[in-house]
Amino acid sequence: MNPIATMLDPKYTRRLFIGIGVLIALALAYRFLYPIIFDAYVGKTNAPLTYDTSKRLTDVEFEALAQSLSEDARRLKAEAVVAVDQNPFAREVKIEMLMNTESFIRDSEPRHIKYFREAGIRQYEGPKTCLTCHATLEVDHPDGTRSTVNTLDDLVNSVHFKFQTMAGGFSTYGYDGRQVNAGPHKIPVGKIDRACGIPGSFTWTGWAALISSHPEHGSNGEVVLRSEGCGQCHIGGNYQPATEKMMPVGDVPDMAKEGIDCLICHAAHYDMNQRVVIRDEYGLRWNQDRSLRAALTVAPISSETCLRCHQHNMGGDAYAHNDAAQALGYQHQRLLHRGAKRGNPFSPADDAHAAAGIQCTDCHRPEGHKIPRGRLGVDLVANDLPDKTVSCETCHGRAPHNASENKALLNGHIARLACETCHIPRLEDNNVVLRDWVHPTWDAEEGIWEPTDVYRSGEPGKGFTYLWFNGNGTFLANALGNNPNGSDTYDPLMQQIARIDDSEVIAAVRAKATELKQQYPAIDIERYVQMATDPLSQLSPELLEQRRAMIQANLRTAMNDGKSRIYPFKLFNAMMYEDMSNQGPFGAMILPFDYNIYYETGDTAASVKRAIQDPIVQRMYQEPFKRYMMDEFMAYFGVSGGWKTIYPLVNDQLVNVEPHWMRQMGTLMVNHGIQRQGHDCAACHAPNGIMDFKLLGYTAERIAELQDPALLRKPSVTTLTTAAPESVAP
Amino acid sequence: MSALYLYSRWVRAWHWLNALLFIVLMYTGASMHFAGGGWLMPFDRAVTVHNTAGILLTVGWIGFVIGNVTTDNGRHYRVQWSGFFTRLFAQAQYYGYGIFHNAPHPFHVTAEMKLNTLQQLSYLGVMYGLMPLLIMSGWAFLFSVSLPETLFGLPSVWLIAMAHLTLAYALVLFLLVHMYIITTGETVTTNLRAMLTGWHREDAPHSSSHQEAQ
Amino acid sequence: MHNRLTKRASGWLAGAVLLSALLGTSSTSTAAIHGQLGTDNSDCLRCHRMETLAYRDPQSGELVDLHVNGEQFGHSAHAEVPCIDCHQGDFGQYPHPAAALAQRLDCVGCHEDQPDAHERAYRFQTIEQEFARSIHATSDSPKVKGFNCHHCHDPHTFRNSAIGQPIAEIVRSDNQLCLSCHSKIREPYSTAHLWLPKRDKHWQAVRCLECHTPLTDLGQPVSHQLLAGKDSNFDCVNCHSQEQRLLQRLYQYRSATDLENSGWLSKAILNQSYVVGMSRSPLLDALGLGVMGLTLCVLIAHGWGRYRAYRRFRQHQLEQ
Repeated sequence: MNPIATMLDPKYTRRLFIGIGVLIALALAYRFLYPIIFDAYVGKTNAPLTYDTSKRLTDVEFEALAQSLSEDARRLKAEAVVAVDQNPFAREVKIEMLMNTESFIRDSEPRHIKYFREAGIRQYEGPKTCLTCHATLEVDHPDGTRSTVNTLDDLVNSVHFKFQTMAGGFSTYGYDGRQVNAGPHKIPVGKIDRACGIPGSFTWTGWAALISSHPEHGSNGEVVLRSEGCGQCHIGGNYQPATEKMMPVGDVPDMAKEGIDCLICHAAHYDMNQRVVIRDEYGLRWNQDRSLRAALTVAPISSETCLRCHQHNMGGDAYAHNDAAQALGYQHQRLLHRGAKRGNPFSPADDAHAAAGIQCTDCHRPEGHKIPRGRLGVDLVANDLPDKTVSCETCHGRAPHNASENKALLNGHIARLACETCHIPRLEDNNVVLRDWVHPTWDAEEGIWEPTDVYRSGEPGKGFTYLWFNGNGTFLANALGNNPNGSDTYDPLMQQIARIDDSEVIAAVRAKATELKQQYPAIDIERYVQMATDPLSQLSPELLEQRRAMIQANLRTAMNDGKSRIYPFKLFNAMMYEDMSNQGPFGAMILPFDYNIYYETGDTAASVKRAIQDPIVQRMYQEPFKRYMMDEFMAYFGVSGGWKTIYPLVNDQLVNVEPHWMRQMGTLMVNHGIQRQGHDCAACHAPNGIMDFKLLGYTAERIAELQDPALLRKPSVTTLTTAAPESVAP
Repeated sequence: MSALYLYSRWVRAWHWLNALLFIVLMYTGASMHFAGGGWLMPFDRAVTVHNTAGILLTVGWIGFVIGNVTTDNGRHYRVQWSGFFTRLFAQAQYYGYGIFHNAPHPFHVTAEMKLNTLQQLSYLGVMYGLMPLLIMSGWAFLFSVSLPETLFGLPSVWLIAMAHLTLAYALVLFLLVHMYIITTGETVTTNLRAMLTGWHREDAPHSSSHQEAQ
Repeated sequence: MHNRLTKRASGWLAGAVLLSALLGTSSTSTAAIHGQLGTDNSDCLRCHRMETLAYRDPQSGELVDLHVNGEQFGHSAHAEVPCIDCHQGDFGQYPHPAAALAQRLDCVGCHEDQPDAHERAYRFQTIEQEFARSIHATSDSPKVKGFNCHHCHDPHTFRNSAIGQPIAEIVRSDNQLCLSCHSKIREPYSTAHLWLPKRDKHWQAVRCLECHTPLTDLGQPVSHQLLAGKDSNFDCVNCHSQEQRLLQRLYQYRSATDLENSGWLSKAILNQSYVVGMSRSPLLDALGLGVMGLTLCVLIAHGWGRYRAYRRFRQHQLEQ
């Protein structure tokens, strides 16, 4: 039958209408019902967001604000013009006069004052206000092309907003040997579903909290509310992370998009004191500076704006030049994290590039709101532009040393050593290496229970170590690489990062354990020291054997891949509660803490019990979540047999949950805190240097050659070859 | 006289276009193959002309196939299996023996069957066997850059070149035979005129039927 | 060879001095520990094998690469030559004295001094003469100022193409020499060689010098007289025909492997057939033309037979 005639047949027409009706119904359900069902399923809230900091100004107030914003710039400029005068008073009068001339005001004003003035904008209302003019964005790509993108979509799909990605491009390998998300089954990975760099919580359970602290000094025993949570560093302003983005369908609701904090990155003057947790009728969320004052200072991105958040994981909160940590809030002051995540600050005081006025985006060159981390990635943090290079070589070229007499020899080292290896001689002293979350310590100053830093150090060999690295990493952030000699003895997952041999470190750990025992009498000091410094001792012989086999069978390829060089890696291990039903040779699933119970009572087990009752953690222990991502997640984790959905809380008791140290230390790349003067030659080329050449897979002959003290002695004029014994083959 | 309208306009147009392209391709092909000779086309021009003609030939061939599918010209290429070998033998015997003894044609052209069995077989082989292979090998040359390095363990370009060359020789051979065979109609020019005018006229002087009709 | 002998001699010397028990142990590390920086090749390579050993020349800003790939050097034409044979000067000192660094190295002198110089494929005198006519020597362009052998031939890696080496490899490494300076040619929007049909295929399949050097006498290797673009070969037929420009040059390296690997039949069929137009297989041509000639004979005979029959028929009709 003719297909058109078939279509016109009444019987088929009816079917056709039913079909179209179903499709429309499905589309409507997707648009309106799906978000509601999804939110209900994961137990998250979305609500219209308002901010007290967003105020409407009158025209007069606006002009006054404009005057004050340009005042400093105008004064500087006028002072330069009226450099000298016969007397200080006369000079001051002239400066005042100049400062208030029309052209001075016009040329010194931040650009957005003019735009806002002309467009009649007298209140900053969040993304809405920005998008009035910036609805689309021109993006320059490295191949020279230019594209126009929707600004909001560009941002909402960037890692800064969703902090995970389901795309490929990870240089991370699962312990099962598969490259993460390289296959057809892609799962969302990134910080959203992964314990933080210094683990303690999930973004879902630790987004925003108001802690009741009991400081012992100066507050007469009053309760002081403090802000805490992952949301402080992430630009979404709603009640939880952008969980919707973890699904292949659906989008973040518009009201959540209205909570995006454009100004924390784009405003030159942003009041970090506004960045605290506030409570409204729907729950807790993070406040922001939505003042017109901040909006009018919008200017190109600078290091200062990036460092409002990123100094937290570089220099750390306790770092003297962390500006954001000086503005903790007018109320609900943010809690500082004392031990440094990396301890390699980016500031003029401690980094050569920052001192030279280099801005973050000079190296991390953005494409729209997508910002590259670089190709090398040891951890599982998502990367917007995984193929874009961020490297020293981009600027410094192949032969960066120009001043030294030994420049050629120094340049010669680049084939085997990363620049950071010499030029980050040490990290901050408060760099955390071992952190015990299970046995917290009372901080009388802050009036809270804090995790105990069992060992901190910024010294090479102690706080950080040197490993071969080809850009690949494991699922738990262990650098992969191998000695270019193809060594099969180099095995950091069984050696360097799986045990601490340094007697000084062991002594420090023992001292801390002894101290902890006063608070926690159940601690067996010897066992405690052993678990912390030899985490593999926590594995059964079978698991240990399995681990050895898996490293050989699954990771060797990724280790021998490409070209390896020696990089410095910050070491880190933590004692956390683990769900032992989901344990493998490399670790078990760690469980989150509830901030309030943790900080307020120090009862860590109770804190875990509360946190895992969070709806989304309960969902994690159910079949759909298992199928959607957890099975795959555990396969990468090195746990065979898939995700066990045995919920670890029965009758309010933790079941099969044990405190453990991770089975190896995590290794975090350190790339900032660059010093002009690197390590000198003798730091490595001497017996007992900072590099353990043996563990790095060198042969005994080569080690002798590398550590030969005569290597550094200016040789006398040598006699000819007859005197030289048989030498090493190249 | 008997007159049959055997070759519709498109068949004739295609045939002569094809013939022209064949000649061009032969000449330019030889120019490239034996480059340097006095009567040959310069190499670089021959390349362009050969490529163009080859592409046109492909278009023509596709047109021919489509024409055969959509019009009833295609039935001439459908082999009638009943009595096939008898007819084949008769035809071969005619060409090999009968023709020298003024034996009558064993085959008479009709609207249903304009090709004798031997013709049918050779045209089938040429149009649906050799031509597509030749065309494919020609296109393989055009896209030789994207060919794999080796094919069946042999350098693929060489394999293609040899195939193209062999097929080309085979088709030149066909052309020779074809040009001769068409002279074996009722008169030397019967078939040629039929392909020019479309009408197959059996009006040869010695045709008895013709005389009777007059 | 010289190198190896020296080593062995020094081993014996050590053996004479040391107790026999020490003879078996490796003395590799002792050299280093006593700080005797020798002038053995391996002593030099101790630093110069660093892949990134280089500096930027303060005058020109250009990178000066000091790396010598030990493995490549070991396979190079000069593998057996001690470093100090060419680099004569006090290189036992670090930093190397300026006087030693300022030396200029001369290839022709050394090569012409070789006892078998006149038996070799390349006479360096001839090369010198050819080079003097080369565009690299005659051009006024400031870019070729001071052009010498080393601009193309790195003495630490260079080796002659050898029979049996894969053609593709010869082409790649040979063209790399040219392209390291003529880098603009391969840029994506380069208009160079656009006239050439299947430009990229040509670049993959033949060496630049196939067209950019004049033909030499049969049996003579490639000329060092590089031609300017306008003087180079534009005539396709030079390669795409039986005039076997390529056979004589690039494909001279091929035949032996073919013979070894594939036997005489493959050689007979394959050898002349690497290039379009050179797809002339004498065998196929002979076969094809032969069959055609034969067919033509048969057809003529057939036609003659028919004519005879016709004549008979007409005769018969007339008789009737």
